Amino acid sequence: MTLEAEVQTLRQVPMFKDIDPARLKLLAFTSERVQFADRQRFFSQGDASDSAYVILEGRADVLLTTPTGEIKVAELEGNALVGEMGILSDTPRSATIMASEPTTALRIDRRVFLELLAQFPQMSLAVMRELAKRLEQTNAKLVAKSTP
Amino acid sequence: MVGQSVGDIVRPMEKSLFRYIWTHSKRDQLLVCAVVLVSQPFYFASLDLPRQIVNQAIQGEAFREGQATAPFLPFTLSLPEWLGGASFPIFEGFEVGRIGLLLGLSGLFLFFVIINGAFKYWINVAKGVLGERMLRRLRFDLFTMVLRFTPEALRTVKSSETATIIKDEVEPVGGFIGDAFITPVFLGMQALTALFFIMVQNVSLGLMALAVVGIQFTIIPRMRRELLRLGKRRQIASRQLAGRIAEVSDGIEAVQVHNSYAWERAEIGQRLYQLFDLRLRIYNRKFIVKFINNFLSQLTPFFFYSVGGYLAIRGTLDIGQLVAVIAAYRELPPPLKELIDWDQQRLDVQVKYDQVTQHFSEERLAPTLLAKEDAGEEAPLVGPLVAEDLRVSDPHGGVILNGVSFEIPLPADVALISGGASVASLMAQILARRMTTFGGRIRIGEQDLRQIPPAIAGQKIAYAGVDPILFPGSIRDNLVYGLRHKPLGQRKEDEREALRRIREAQRTGNPIENVADEWIDYTVVGAKDEDDLDRILIDLMKKVGMGNEIYLFGLAGRIDPERDPQLAEHLVEARRRLRETFQAEGMADLVEPFDPQQFNDQSTIAENLLFGVPTSDAFRGRNLAENSSFRSAIDQAGLFDELVHMGRQIAETMAEIFEGLPPGHSLFEQFSFIGAEELPEFEAILRRSRSDAALTKEDRTRLLSLPLAYIEARHRLGLIDDKLKVQFVQARGYVRQEFQKVEADVEFYDPEKICAAAPVRDNLLFGRVSYRVANAQARVAEAISAVVKGLDLLEDIERVGLDRQVGTAGRLLTAQERASVNLVRCLVKRPDILVIDGALAPFDETRAQKMIKLLIELGRGRSLFMVLPNDRQVEDFDILMRFGDGQITTESNAGRTSEASEPQPANAQRIAGEVA
Repeated sequence: MTLEAEVQTLRQVPMFKDIDPARLKLLAFTSERVQFADRQRFFSQGDASDSAYVILEGRADVLLTTPTGEIKVAELEGNALVGEMGILSDTPRSATIMASEPTTALRIDRRVFLELLAQFPQMSLAVMRELAKRLEQTNAKLVAKSTP
Repeated sequence: MVGQSVGDIVRPMEKSLFRYIWTHSKRDQLLVCAVVLVSQPFYFASLDLPRQIVNQAIQGEAFREGQATAPFLPFTLSLPEWLGGASFPIFEGFEVGRIGLLLGLSGLFLFFVIINGAFKYWINVAKGVLGERMLRRLRFDLFTMVLRFTPEALRTVKSSETATIIKDEVEPVGGFIGDAFITPVFLGMQALTALFFIMVQNVSLGLMALAVVGIQFTIIPRMRRELLRLGKRRQIASRQLAGRIAEVSDGIEAVQVHNSYAWERAEIGQRLYQLFDLRLRIYNRKFIVKFINNFLSQLTPFFFYSVGGYLAIRGTLDIGQLVAVIAAYRELPPPLKELIDWDQQRLDVQVKYDQVTQHFSEERLAPTLLAKEDAGEEAPLVGPLVAEDLRVSDPHGGVILNGVSFEIPLPADVALISGGASVASLMAQILARRMTTFGGRIRIGEQDLRQIPPAIAGQKIAYAGVDPILFPGSIRDNLVYGLRHKPLGQRKEDEREALRRIREAQRTGNPIENVADEWIDYTVVGAKDEDDLDRILIDLMKKVGMGNEIYLFGLAGRIDPERDPQLAEHLVEARRRLRETFQAEGMADLVEPFDPQQFNDQSTIAENLLFGVPTSDAFRGRNLAENSSFRSAIDQAGLFDELVHMGRQIAETMAEIFEGLPPGHSLFEQFSFIGAEELPEFEAILRRSRSDAALTKEDRTRLLSLPLAYIEARHRLGLIDDKLKVQFVQARGYVRQEFQKVEADVEFYDPEKICAAAPVRDNLLFGRVSYRVANAQARVAEAISAVVKGLDLLEDIERVGLDRQVGTAGRLLTAQERASVNLVRCLVKRPDILVIDGALAPFDETRAQKMIKLLIELGRGRSLFMVLPNDRQVEDFDILMRFGDGQITTESNAGRTSEASEPQPANAQRIAGEVA
């Protein structure tokens, strides 16, 4: 898989879909492509947030640490972006991500990501739009929950 | 021979340069003068011969009475008139004909020319050697004075000015030394000989010449006085220029932070203008003087030709005589001119010498330097530390300490609590003998602190201030710096070379010790040998928290397999073991090994092609693209066009993705193959030629340089397919062949050998950590660490870590590392009194607290004085010293933890009060 293919994957990520291809290429170029073995952790809950990941191939589980142990709350597959909230809000990891099969991901460094956002307003806007959308969805869910 | 000390007691610098030269070189000067004297008769003879040739052989005077032969080389010993004037012919001479006489005399002339030349040669060499020896002595004496600068003087002395004085300013002085006495003697005699000869031939012509010489000698020096004044100003101006340049370069941070480039440039520009102006005036003056001097020299021949010619025509002077006079006169102006130059030089260097000695004036220097006095079995510095009537004032006259007295029983751990005032630090400096200008007295036991010989103080007292002073060299060199007092053992040295070195040292007042000898005093540290010392150093470094750094330095360091073949072997063994570990633990994909037959995806293309490590810059980075051997090799491998094409693709991609980023953006520096400033250039190349074929030679080189740094696994531009990989591997053979032809500075990889140019870590891995596997670096580092420990190589690697270069003033280390090195340097010599004055500043509070405990722990039974800002960290100290209102109070520490070994007073009490 080359840079071009990675750019194609990035375009599938909702947060990045409106961004100029040349910028996505820069994002891909400044990221690392890494492989995780089955059961290898991307990061653990409570770690410092230093990067976000886009899953290129494979699957990963989202695990929450509870007093009774880790429980799986969601599953991620190709084109999923994970860990971006932590690097934007500069808070520790809120969950553990563990590969559930051999997985390839693009590791986007926090500093580089923020540099890019600072440099290109278009990217910032795309990220804001995505975040706003999520908030809206959360609100909608809350409304749905509170109405019996 | 070693251990014998020469010229240790340093005298003040002679005020007069001539006395200095005479004191130290009279024997040589006299010897050369003697040879000059001996050479004179030959010189005289060579002047007289032309006349004889013309008169006797050519004009035939020797054959005037009709005889067919004349004696050649008769030798007659004549007694002076007052002894009767008898003459004893010793040798009648060869009877020869007219042609024979001519050839004989001409041959004799040639013989004298050679003899004179030989004399000149010997004299010049002797003078040169003499000058160099004296220059060596002068420089060494000045350097010795540098070592004597008092701490107070160092506040005003600029080191760069001192350096330029010792290096540059004394150079002309040194050049002159060889000429100081000999030149006036030699040239004076030549001039006198020539003058005498002219006088003998014709008194009136001689007097004429003498008169002109007299005029020359009065006018010229007068005109040169202004030159001297200008020269003095120039010397000071250029010394200040050197000082200023060093200041700016040392303070470049401030210049950059405050953007004061324009001002600094203008400042230096102004100085250069002043220097230019001074030089211009010197030139003008100098050449006017020269003009007049030349004119005066040519005045004499004018008289000779006109007056002498007149006399010859009138018949009162024979032509042979006139020719001889003119020939002799030809010999007169050069020595005269040189004599006048010599006189100028003499004044010049005397001025320079005065300037130099002023820099090293007595009041700036500590009284004597007795560094080599043997500290030997001196008793430790213990007993009561008693201060009596201490008085210190600041440079502006303000009172800092006013009649302070206290008494502390040593050994003790004393906290000097500054409360933010500088007086605590001052006290620390006084105790460490860094400050000597104070009133009153401090005694330790029976000894006056100021009277302790430096040799003993240097061993028994250690001081670590805020700025750790490190010298360029390895960490080890810096750590053992305090153990180098005198050579203890001799390294093998070529006998004759050693003898010569020592003789030269003795002749020039230099030390006869060899720096290559064994200087490190192992007994002070309690070490048996070099390895043992390293163990102690590493142990101390670990204790101050530098253990991991030293290990990492070791991994990043290089070893010399020829000097340490055993370690090299072990590392190759560890390399094998590491590979096995990777295989066994399913970590094989973490590291892609260097394989002579395989392309390495994790390496740059350059590394793949070289299959080795460059040892000089000519083969590193982009320079490789310009290397003809390399180009020829990739050409043979048929890769040239491929690489240029790859370069084009890289340039295109970079131009595309980095477009819109401002130049200087950190992403450029971190990720781009092409610097921001080069990007337009590459864009122009791409625009100029749409196809590879249309590229110019320069453009091809530019593009060729890009893919050299390309790593397929990391950059993922998809430029390298399997076919290319095979080609790259094949190209290695061509590269090696071409490089071996020119003996290129490249160390090739060999799976069974250590690559001396690569760091230890690379040698252990013998491969590259995969960019593709998550968290690979950390896991590999762990594996390395495990294998290193398993094979018992940790100590060896840490030892390599001690070889880490610290750079100028330790700038290659972080502030904490510098501070640690500084501390260990103090600790390793186990001082009786350790004074810590801000040396822990780079550490955070937790680590500083640990360090304090450690320092107290390591210094059991010895004394520690530490400046602390407040009471927070004092719990382990025996005694607290507080400052205020020009007074010092000491109290034993009530809050001291009970684990202390020494008995402590039951409750806090003042053990000595202040005296108002």
